[in-house]
Amino acid sequence: MNSNKPLARIALTHLVAKKRQTIVATLGVMFGIAIFIFQAGLITGFQTTFIDKTINTTANIRIHNEADKNRKSIAGKLHDPRKDWVVVRNQKPREDDLKIRNGNEIVKIIERHPDVAGVSPFLASQVIFKMGIAQQAGFVSGVLIEKEDLLFGLSANMKEGNTTRLLTIPNGIILGAGLAEKLGAKMEDLLSIISPMGVTLEMKVVGINESGLTEVDKTRAFVNLRNAQKLLQVDGSYITDINIKLKNIDRAGELASEFEKRFGYKADDWKTANANIFGVFKLQNMVTSLVIASIMIVSGFGIFNILMMIIYEKMPDIAILKAVGFRNGDIKKIFLMESLIIGLFGGILGMGFGFIITHIVGSIPMNIKGFVSMKYLYFNQSPAFYVTAFLFALLVTGIAGYLPARKAAKIDPMDIIRSK
Amino acid sequence: MNAGSHILRTIGLNKFFHDPVEFQALKNVNVSIEEGEFVSIVGASGSGKSTLLYTLSTLDTGYSGTILLDGEELGKMRPDDHARIRNEKIGFVFQFHYLLPEFTVLDNVALPALRLGKYSEEEIYSHAHEKLKLLGLDDQALKKSSKLSGGQQQRVAIARALINNPKIIFGDEPTGNLDSKNSETVFGIFKELKEKFNQTILIVTHDMGLASRTDRTITLKDGEVVSP
Ligand SMILES: Nc1ncnc2c1ncn2[C@@H]1O[C@H](COP(=O)(O)OP(=O)(O)O)[C@@H](O)[C@H]1O
Ligand SMILES: [Mg+2]
Repeated sequence: MNSNKPLARIALTHLVAKKRQTIVATLGVMFGIAIFIFQAGLITGFQTTFIDKTINTTANIRIHNEADKNRKSIAGKLHDPRKDWVVVRNQKPREDDLKIRNGNEIVKIIERHPDVAGVSPFLASQVIFKMGIAQQAGFVSGVLIEKEDLLFGLSANMKEGNTTRLLTIPNGIILGAGLAEKLGAKMEDLLSIISPMGVTLEMKVVGINESGLTEVDKTRAFVNLRNAQKLLQVDGSYITDINIKLKNIDRAGELASEFEKRFGYKADDWKTANANIFGVFKLQNMVTSLVIASIMIVSGFGIFNILMMIIYEKMPDIAILKAVGFRNGDIKKIFLMESLIIGLFGGILGMGFGFIITHIVGSIPMNIKGFVSMKYLYFNQSPAFYVTAFLFALLVTGIAGYLPARKAAKIDPMDIIRSK
Repeated sequence: MNAGSHILRTIGLNKFFHDPVEFQALKNVNVSIEEGEFVSIVGASGSGKSTLLYTLSTLDTGYSGTILLDGEELGKMRPDDHARIRNEKIGFVFQFHYLLPEFTVLDNVALPALRLGKYSEEEIYSHAHEKLKLLGLDDQALKKSSKLSGGQQQRVAIARALINNPKIIFGDEPTGNLDSKNSETVFGIFKELKEKFNQTILIVTHDMGLASRTDRTITLKDGEVVSP
């Protein structure tokens, strides 16, 4: 046979003869592929958004003084633990445990590092925000606003006001959007913040910031570093964190260990700091894969079913084709073609449908306030998803078609011819 | 005896069925068909006529003894070779016509030639037209095969059997399902093919009248060839 043309014609004739079932099977593949593209685009789109926002609010590297909770007691230091058993109860953490000594000098040294794009010293305090009768627990970040802005792009996320006013108004405060809403605070309003030390400061709202991470926006405010030091009753050199932005974030891991060795303080890179989030993503991806796989298996069964139906109905055709010289392999090819035709059409339609539905859903305003707040659902439109989905469709239909095709190839024409 | 003129020859052919019980359907059958012969197989129902025909034509396997078709020994071949032999050298006409119902008459006739792939599609369809003309069906060529009457369908099946110019045509009661008029037409066609084109034909029939008009009759009784 110089071509598979007669086989393809027989295959097509079978599918046309079973129009309704063929359409249903094709739609099954189409929906499978569309859901594949939708799900994968949604999940990875969400993850990309989340990572973007998290990177925007997490320093590439954060240097801090890890409170040494397992600090050896003085008594413990004096005795050899192999000989003596020393127990000290109610051992208190030291007050200066969290302080980074020579913080300002370290900031200056790191600023000169060629791989560093920006450095921001940081001191946080837990506080109660109080405005009239409204009270809200949260924390303030004491920062040098220009440096902080360079690291986290605060000015781009200002809902109202702007960051530079913190420079001109010493008792200015920038509230997170969710926090401002809870307190009922507007621009230029006065409110007080009370620290665990009992220090109260009167502040003026000079800006409202929305990072997009809902939890953060509900609890955080920015003040000048000096005010945070006042709240904690510490001197002007006291900082607990140094946040660093790198020119290339992929080098965060190695530079973190470099700084850790050099300055003797703990340095976390953004990936380590967000390890639990990446763990959640892994789980999400696994669940998504399972959902997609089960949809494709269902479409596969649809195809398997229709082919088995065609084979049972077309037994006499198969017998006659074999009697006039078509080989077992030819018969197998006919049914594999039928399956792949369904896969091909279903795959193409599914890619089109997936494209349309992600664009429609992606253009509906949602104003989601969950894990992250988004105006629109963002779909990752990676061509890789379309290619993978399409190849997956062909693979599934190929497998679903193989068993019936093999069964058809094994039919003995004598069984049919004799039975008449 | 000139072996070259034998299209078909069996030596000590035995066939057993094992299911539901051990049963010998063919007993030491030795027959030979010469080129251009029109031979009929007759015998009572259950005497093994169909079994012999399908064994000779490669569709039924699992026998002992030797079958030579156009010089090739069938027993030594794999299924794909049997398919090739059926495609190139054998034409089938069954009692029930077995056309592909969704295809046109012309396509049904052309299919074995498309499988063979010896000629271009254009040539194949022109050959198919010629065969249909020979059988007086050229005006039906583009109709769906299922739209034809039983007699017409059987003639389409004969056209299909002829398309690859086979060495031999096998027919299992090819007139068994037709009324006497159609039956006469179909038998007439076989007769004409033999006389005009020297076509070798072997048919099973239980119609003794038709059998007596063939060149030679092979009579089976309980799986054995007996003299008439
Ligand atoms: N596949 C089979 N399995 C078992 N017995 C069979 C089978 N095919 C035919 N037979 C038996 O072989 C004998 C010959 O059958 P067959 O060749 O069809 O006879 P005929 O065509 O002469 O009527 C019958 O007794 C029939 O029952
Ligand atoms: Mg019979």
